[in-house]
Amino acid sequence: MRPALAAEALRVRLGGHEVLRGITLALGGGWTALVGPNGAGKSTLLRALAGLQTPSGGTVRLQGRDLAGVSAAERAHHIAWLAQLGDVTGELSVRETVALGRIARLGLLGTPGPADGAAVAQAMALTECRDWGARRLHELSGGERQRVLLARVLATEAPLLLLDEPTTHLDAPHQRALARLFRRLAHDTAAPRSVLTVLHDLPIALRADRLLVLDAGTLQADGPPSDPGVQAALARVFGHAIHIDTDAAGRPRVALALDDD
Amino acid sequence: MNRSLALGGGALDGADTRRRRRLAVGLVLVLLLGGLAGLATGSDGLSLRALWADLQGPDTLLLIGHIRAPRTLGAALVGALLGLAGALAQGLFRNPLADPYLLGSAAGAGLGVVLVLAAASAGGAAVGLAGLAWLERLGLVGAAFVGALGGVALTLSLARGAAHTLRLLLAGVVVGVMAGAVSDLLTVAAPEALRGKQAFLLGSTSFLGWPALALLAVGLLLLLTVVGRFARALDALTLGDDSAASLGLDLPRLRLVLVLVLSAATALAVSQAGLVAFVGLVAPHLVRRAAPGPHGWLVLASTAMGAALLMLADVLSRALVAPQELPVGVVTGVLGGAYLVWLLKQRGAR
Amino acid sequence: MRRWFCTWLGGLLLASGAALAQPVEVHDDLGQALRLERPPQRIVSLLPSLTESVAALGAGARLVGVDRYSNWPPEVAALPRLGGIDDAQIEALVRLKPDVVLASSAARSLERLEALGVPVLRLKSDSHADVRRSLALLAQLLGTPVEGERVWARIEAQLAAAQVRVPAALRGRSVYFEIGGGPYAAGTGSFIGQTLARLGMANAVPAELGPFPKLNPEYVVRARPEIVMGALREQPALRARPGWQAVPALREGRLCGFDDAGYELLIRPGPRLGEGAALIADCLQRLGTGAAR
Repeated sequence: MRPALAAEALRVRLGGHEVLRGITLALGGGWTALVGPNGAGKSTLLRALAGLQTPSGGTVRLQGRDLAGVSAAERAHHIAWLAQLGDVTGELSVRETVALGRIARLGLLGTPGPADGAAVAQAMALTECRDWGARRLHELSGGERQRVLLARVLATEAPLLLLDEPTTHLDAPHQRALARLFRRLAHDTAAPRSVLTVLHDLPIALRADRLLVLDAGTLQADGPPSDPGVQAALARVFGHAIHIDTDAAGRPRVALALDDD
Repeated sequence: MNRSLALGGGALDGADTRRRRRLAVGLVLVLLLGGLAGLATGSDGLSLRALWADLQGPDTLLLIGHIRAPRTLGAALVGALLGLAGALAQGLFRNPLADPYLLGSAAGAGLGVVLVLAAASAGGAAVGLAGLAWLERLGLVGAAFVGALGGVALTLSLARGAAHTLRLLLAGVVVGVMAGAVSDLLTVAAPEALRGKQAFLLGSTSFLGWPALALLAVGLLLLLTVVGRFARALDALTLGDDSAASLGLDLPRLRLVLVLVLSAATALAVSQAGLVAFVGLVAPHLVRRAAPGPHGWLVLASTAMGAALLMLADVLSRALVAPQELPVGVVTGVLGGAYLVWLLKQRGAR
Repeated sequence: MRRWFCTWLGGLLLASGAALAQPVEVHDDLGQALRLERPPQRIVSLLPSLTESVAALGAGARLVGVDRYSNWPPEVAALPRLGGIDDAQIEALVRLKPDVVLASSAARSLERLEALGVPVLRLKSDSHADVRRSLALLAQLLGTPVEGERVWARIEAQLAAAQVRVPAALRGRSVYFEIGGGPYAAGTGSFIGQTLARLGMANAVPAELGPFPKLNPEYVVRARPEIVMGALREQPALRARPGWQAVPALREGRLCGFDDAGYELLIRPGPRLGEGAALIADCLQRLGTGAAR
C-alpha cells in the first residue's frame, strides 16, 4: 500500500542553518509520535510534511505525488496541521473558530450544509468543548484554547493529522483523554486517520503505535515504543536524563533519571 | 449574504445574535434619522420646522433635491466606503488600530491633488495648452483617485507583493513620507496650491452632487460583492498565517485582492470627499465593541456604521456654526480623537 | 545775491540732513516700541504688502531682502528670498545686517531674531484702515512722515475714480466674492469687502459672519447674489456645483473672473488697493453694458 505521506532525503535550511539533514520516513496509518530534544527540528519536520515549508533538498510525497506540485486547496483535503504556538487573534467564538476548519472542504465560496454542522459538532464533542460554543476564544485559558484549535483541525475531516504539541497546556485528565482520542482516531474502522503528533510528554508518546526519535536534524530511531533499540535511542538523545523500563502490564514506562546526591 | 458567510448556519448562540440584531436595528434607525437630519439642515442650521416650510416653499427641488439630499446621501456613501475599507484593513493587518490610509492611498491622493493644483497655477507655460485641457477634464476628483491607486501600487511594489504584512506596513509608511515630502516641495514652489491642498486634507462633503453619488453607489455595491466572497478568508487569517495556509488558502493572492479592494474603496471615498479622518478607524472598532463576530458580519456592519458616522458628522459640520461650515474632517477628527482618548482611559482604568 | 542763495540752500540741506539723521521711534501693532538712532537704511520685509508699502513710499532702494511671496515692484525679484511667515531663514536674514525687519503681526517665529538683537516691526494688514495706518507708520519710520498721507491720498483718489466708473444699473447689487474653493467668501468686514463697499456694491455675506467665513454652499444659493467674483481659474467649476445653476449671477453670466496677477493683487491689502478697485470697476463696466435688463 502506498504510504499516505512520505519524506525522501528531506533537507531543510533555515537562516543559513541546516535544520533537517536528510530525513526519510513513511506514514501509513496509526498514531505516530515524533519526539526529540529541544531544537531537534521536530516542528520544522512537521511543517515540511504539511507543505508549509519548502524543502531545500529531497521531496515530500503525498500518496506518491510530489507535495510541491499539489495545490494548496487539494492539499487541505488530505492534510490538517495544528500549530504549536497559537497565533490566534481570538475574537471569534469557539464555534466560529472550529467551523473555520470546514474551509478545507468547502473552500471560500462553498455554502455550509448540514454535513458541515455535524462535523463541527462532532469535533467539539471529541475535544470536550461542546458547551463553549458561544464563548470568545480570548476568554479561554491556554489549555481550553488548545482544545478548541484541535477541534478546528478535526473539523476538517482530513485523513492526515499533523499536530504540533497538542497537549502542552493540558492538565493530566485532558492529556489522557487526548491520548485516548488519538488512538481512537487512528484505529477508527469507519474513517481511520494517520495521526502524527510532536510531543514533549514522553509518557504519552510511549502510548503511541510508533515512535520517531529526532535529534539534530536526523532520525535516530523509527519503530514501536516496545522496541529496545528505540528505547535505547530515546535514552541516548535525551542525554540519559530519562530511564525507561517496563510496567507490570509489559508496557514501556519512562521516568526522569534523578541522581541521588 | 449574511447567512452564507456565517458558517454553521443557525447554530449561533442567542446572546450573540441578539447583540447583532440590536446593532443592526440601531444602525438602520440612525441612518434614517440621520438622513432626515441631513435634509433638515440648511444654511440656517438644523430645524425640522424650517424643513417643513422649505417643503412647501418654491425652492424645494433646488434646496432639498439638488443640494441637501445628494450631500447627505453622499456623506453616507463615502462613510460606508471608509467603514468597509477600515474593516478590511483591520482584518488584513490583524490590528484594531489599522486604518485604510496606511498603504499610501492618502498620501498618493494628496500628492495627485497638489500636482494638479500646482500645474494649473503654473499655467500654460509649464504644462502646455493640451496638458491644461486634459488636466481640467481629469479634475481634482480624477487626480485624487489616480493618486490614491498610484500610492498603493508604489507600496505594493516596494513591499514586493502582499505576502508579508509587516513589509506592507513599512512600505506604506515610506510611501506616505515620500509623497508628503514631494507634496510639500510642490507647495513651496507653487504656493497657490496650498489652499486647495489644505481643503483636501481637511475633507469636505460640501459639493457632493448626484453624479458623484451614482459613482459612489456603484462602486460600493461592486466592492461589497467582491468582499462577500473573501470575508471568510479574513476569519481564517485570525488563526495565523500558517494555519490559514494549511486550510488551503493562497495567502499572497488573497492578500493582494483584499489590498486592491481596500485601495479602491479608499480611492473612491477620498477622491470625492478628501481625507476624512478616523471614520475608517472608528467604525469597525465600534462594531467590534457592540457586537463582535465573523468578518462577514463585521464588514457589513462597519460599512453601515461608517455611513452613519459620516452622515452625522456632515450634519454637525453644517449645523454647529450655520451659516458657516466646519470642514467635515475636523468634526470626525475631534470625535474620533475623543473616542480614542476615552478608550485609552478605559484601558488604563482596568 | 548768490551768497544769500548759497546760505539758504546750505541751511536747507543742513536742516533736511538733520531731519534725516533724527532718531525715530514708532509703536508697532503689537504695542512694542521701536527706537532707532536714525531712519533704517537696510530693510528686510517678510510680507508682500509691506514690501509694496516700502516701495510706494519711495524707499524701495533700501530693501535688502524680502520673503518668497513678494513680487512687486519687479525690482524685488533680484533681492535675496528669505522664506515665509513661519519659516524665515534666520541666518541668511541676520547676515544681511538689516536695520529693521518688517513682518506681519501673525508671524510666529521671530523671537529668535529679536533675541539676536534685530529690531522687528509687526504690522497688521487686514483692512483699509490697517493699510492707511501702516503707510503712516512706515513713513514715519523712514523719516519721511508726509509720504504716508500722500500715498494714501493717491489710493483714495483711485478708489473714488473707480467708484464713479461703476455702471448705475449695477450699483448696490449684491456681490459674492469667493476666495478659493471651500467655499470661503470675502465678507463685508474683509478688506475686499471694504473695497466693494467703497465701490457702492452690496455684499452677499453680512458682516456678522466674519471677514472670511467658510460657508455652507446652500447659503450662497439662498442669498442669490447677482454678481459672482473670484479667480478666473475656478469659475468654470462653479456651475457644476449642486444647486448653483439657480444662482442668478451664474444663470445670467454676471461673473468677474480675475486672472492670477489680478487676483493676487485683489487679495493683497497693500498700497495697490486702488488698482484692485480699478480692476473690479473694469469688470463691472464690462458687465454693465449688458446689464440694462
